[in-house]
Amino acid sequence: MFKKHNKVQPPATYREVWSKGDVSFKLSFLLMGFVQLRHKQWAKGIALLGIQIAFWVWFIFSGVSALSMLSNLGEIKSKKVVFDQTQGVYLTKLPDNSVLILLFGVLAVILLLAMLGLYIAHLRSMRTLYVQLRDGEHVPTNHENLHALIDERLHSTLLAVPIVLIVAFTILPTVYMISMAFTNYDGKHPIGFSWTGFKAFGNVLTGDLAGTFFPVLGWTLVWAVCATATTFFFGVLLAMLIESKGINHKGFWRTIFVIVYAVPQFVSLLMMAQFLDLQGPLNNILMSIHLISSPINFIGASASPLVARITVIVVNMWIGIPVSMLISTAIIQNLPQDQIEAARIDGANAWQVFRSITFPQILFVMAPSLIQQFIGNINNFNVIYLLTAGYPMNNNYNGAGDTDLLVTWLYNLVFGQTQRYNASAVLGILIFILSAVFSLIAYRRTNAFKEG
Amino acid sequence: MKSYHAQRRLSLVFRYCLLALLAILWIIPIVWIILASFSSNDTGFVSTFWPKQFTLQNYIGIFTSDQFPFLYWIRNTLLVSLVTMVLSTFVTICVAYTLSRLRFAFRKKFLQIALVLGMFPGFMSMIALYYILKNFNMLNLGGLTLVYVGGAGLGFYIAKGFFDTIPVAIDEAAVMDGATKWQVFIHIGLPMSRPIIVYTALTAFIGPWIDFIFSGIILSSSGNAKTYTIAYGLYNMLHSTKGASTTYFTEFIAGCVVIAIPITILFIIMQKFYVSGITAGADKG
Amino acid sequence: MKTWKKVMLGSVTLLASMALVACGKSSSSTDTSSSKEVTGTVKLWVDTTQVPYYKTIVKNFNKEYPKVKVAVTQSPNGSANAKTDVGKDPAKAADVFEVPNDQLGSMADQGYINPLSPASTKTVKANNVSVAAKAVEWNNKLYAYPFAEQAQTLYYDKSKLSAEDVKTWDGITAKGVIATDFTNAYNYYPVFLSAGTNLYGTDGETLKGTKVANAKGVAAMTWLAQQKANKNVMQTSNALNQLKSGAAAATLDGPWNSANIKKILGKNFAVAPYPTVNINGKQVQLKAFLGIEAFAVNSHTSTKNQKAAATLAEYITNKKSQLIVYKNSGQIPVDKAAQTSDTITSDPVAKAVMTMSKSSDHSIIMPKMTQMATFWNLSAPLINGAYTGSIKSSQYMDKLQTFQDAISKEN
Repeated sequence: MFKKHNKVQPPATYREVWSKGDVSFKLSFLLMGFVQLRHKQWAKGIALLGIQIAFWVWFIFSGVSALSMLSNLGEIKSKKVVFDQTQGVYLTKLPDNSVLILLFGVLAVILLLAMLGLYIAHLRSMRTLYVQLRDGEHVPTNHENLHALIDERLHSTLLAVPIVLIVAFTILPTVYMISMAFTNYDGKHPIGFSWTGFKAFGNVLTGDLAGTFFPVLGWTLVWAVCATATTFFFGVLLAMLIESKGINHKGFWRTIFVIVYAVPQFVSLLMMAQFLDLQGPLNNILMSIHLISSPINFIGASASPLVARITVIVVNMWIGIPVSMLISTAIIQNLPQDQIEAARIDGANAWQVFRSITFPQILFVMAPSLIQQFIGNINNFNVIYLLTAGYPMNNNYNGAGDTDLLVTWLYNLVFGQTQRYNASAVLGILIFILSAVFSLIAYRRTNAFKEG
Repeated sequence: MKSYHAQRRLSLVFRYCLLALLAILWIIPIVWIILASFSSNDTGFVSTFWPKQFTLQNYIGIFTSDQFPFLYWIRNTLLVSLVTMVLSTFVTICVAYTLSRLRFAFRKKFLQIALVLGMFPGFMSMIALYYILKNFNMLNLGGLTLVYVGGAGLGFYIAKGFFDTIPVAIDEAAVMDGATKWQVFIHIGLPMSRPIIVYTALTAFIGPWIDFIFSGIILSSSGNAKTYTIAYGLYNMLHSTKGASTTYFTEFIAGCVVIAIPITILFIIMQKFYVSGITAGADKG
Repeated sequence: MKTWKKVMLGSVTLLASMALVACGKSSSSTDTSSSKEVTGTVKLWVDTTQVPYYKTIVKNFNKEYPKVKVAVTQSPNGSANAKTDVGKDPAKAADVFEVPNDQLGSMADQGYINPLSPASTKTVKANNVSVAAKAVEWNNKLYAYPFAEQAQTLYYDKSKLSAEDVKTWDGITAKGVIATDFTNAYNYYPVFLSAGTNLYGTDGETLKGTKVANAKGVAAMTWLAQQKANKNVMQTSNALNQLKSGAAAATLDGPWNSANIKKILGKNFAVAPYPTVNINGKQVQLKAFLGIEAFAVNSHTSTKNQKAAATLAEYITNKKSQLIVYKNSGQIPVDKAAQTSDTITSDPVAKAVMTMSKSSDHSIIMPKMTQMATFWNLSAPLINGAYTGSIKSSQYMDKLQTFQDAISKEN
């Protein structure tokens, strides 16, 4: 808060700090930490100086080369086979490993930016120190600095480890993935690849993958809407059924449904795939009670696309309804009863109460988690990969099936036959844009995150 | 009056029937999975609901197999999930508490960045994660744990929602009395958040038991089955050799049932924390 | 960071030393054949279930080459996925790994594997049947050491079908049900070859050599479509289960499942080469893809271990090792002497597989083109489309043309 205030009325300009500050200030513009050491803020000074030295050592010995190689991702792009007479075997001179060059280039950029951020923060604190000295205010002692870490600056202490983890395990890989989309990293250039701009985007949006991309995108959206809506709606109904007057042993009933959700998905879905097979138990049961005369191909590779898609949504209900039932139960139990009573007295029937009072309230409370579920469903890898593996086959698609979502197709592009890493990175970016657009609209509407 | 009673009665009977029917529909596949794990079958496919022949051989086989060291997998997974549980809970609670109770300049930006980062599909990060871990020579259980913990920093939404519901006045009163924010965190924040800590911990604990993708990427290059975790080990059992999916199928189901039981029990225990976490998080809407 | 630095430095020095070695060659002696002195540390990847008997084979190897340290480990996703497993991180992949021959072309092009030395080439060609050597040859160099051949055959229930019945497809389906999977291109793309079309030319290596968008291709599509109407052709993802339950009398499967099928059918177990099929009024032999299993040497293996890796790969694919593999897993050897040994010739499965692989009218070697990745992706939906009828007969020509164009692209 007060930092913003600072910006409006800087009590001192940096020019003033530079010209009027003592030598340690001038030195600190170049090498952080001097001014703190000079004013006995030992911990801060040593930390700054240490980080800085480590940074420069890294930068000179590794950072420079990492950054410079980023420009072309390595000189040597093609391999060469040579015969080694002494050993009597062929050897392969390999291209430069662009994967590592790119990864460490990205890391170098992130470190550089982090250092820049630290430098700016350092300039601010230097200015504050200068003002404190100039105006004869109290200068925080070393001890006070350290104490602040568990008091007014507790947030830095608590966030330090998580931020390092987030940078290393989320930001770095994400940036790396995004940059991959602008290269020709694929089965033909698996080791040494180069920057190719928006070519991979072209392949996905207008090239040989476009005929697959748009239909798969369409199904992904249909799936996300249906999966979210069905589990939510029927979850609410199930919760109301269990919560309705007269039903005993509510906990027992709930547990039965929750068991389905609790079983690890790679077990329940893999087995469900067999359960629904053309010759599987379900078809056998249905045939033995003469409900059907010939087996239904629910999710096989040669099933009808419509049947398979409906089956996938139904199986997802099997897994998803228990969760939304649990959540709605909690909400229903906390609903204000007076409104419902008032409506009852006014002669509203059960359906009217549900439609105009209960349901809207549940919807209101659950809106944020519904949005998250929707995003989750766009990326719902498990249900598709384990249940149908993308089948049924579609002879108009390239490397995808009728129930493939963008995210399972992405997986196929990386780990399947064709090894199109760059195209999959493009897909990743497009999925991100899709999710971002939807959540932006949704959050705007619900205002749930307004407060933060 | 009588007809009203009859109607109520009819409605109750109807609702009980509906509920029972739904419950049966829901539980049938699960029952079948358990039955299948006891079936004697060498075709890699269970086509009947009721096994033609019952056997315990699948369970004996999975616990005594040389090629598939099931007990090692359980031990590894238990190790990974316990460490993950402790570290992830620590990280998640720190982040959630900070973002909910403390006010600082970077806070809003952090929330926004976290929201954006969460929307990138996680798969693409696998390749990068693999190489990062490889460079630290951590393509092992330790590295896998690190990956799970690394994701914890962004999984703070539910816990944050919980902290948001605790009145700020309590903190303020303590600060008035001269407590530092650290003391508030330790002596007020943490004790009050026991349900959400339990929830976060259990979620983190379950994660390693069900993830077969990341564990496959990170552990597979060791080529040593004794270093696998359970989900990848079981998955690998079917997909490693041509014909293996036929030979080991029923043992695979037995293995699945063995690990599904504790997880299911854990989940049933934690369902009320789950609910209170989610609804508390959503309440402020 | 430092590790990376080391890696970079390491690879630079490696390259430099290789260049030096490559240039300053002529003076050194080339007498390496007598080397009991081969040294090195080698990591070997095999499928999970193969680990135990490869440990035996490696023990034999160490008797001859005591100075080579070998670690037998299981590959991440099985040899069928060698290309993607190695591709994930070639530097971390094994020095010697098992791979089916159809992946060799792209792995060679991508620089993942090294060609065989002239001496090894000679040995491999001399000892193994000619299709095996041909199957691992790419751009006039051998890229892997073959050790087993895989071709699907017909497995059937003796009590339901006679040896005479199984000679023709129509004979089988007249008397019993054949359970099979039309969604698998490995099973049914060869119908197109039976119909007389080419896949990547007659040598399987000509990019523009695929000729399938013609009357012969249409005839194959028509045959596939006819099978849907045949009550005795059962589409299934679990043929073995159908054999067991007695719902089916025959299936097409590979030698890797023969042990399982033997267990299921018991004394009624029988095996035969593929039957003939009636395509467009003509009785032609139904063909199969011939796959050769082989071991390749990783190009990322450090120079000092290259010789050891090559020696190991050659040893574990020699006659003795091939027979050990056969004994433990039923994989049919490709060594000439092994193929004529009594154990092999008395095995009906081996005999059927050998019949299938020997002549080009029973099988074709799986092409090694990089484009095979696209081929697998696109051919399965095509075959399935013809079978289920989702591709109408009027569309056959268009679909075949699209397919042919897509798999003949330079990438």
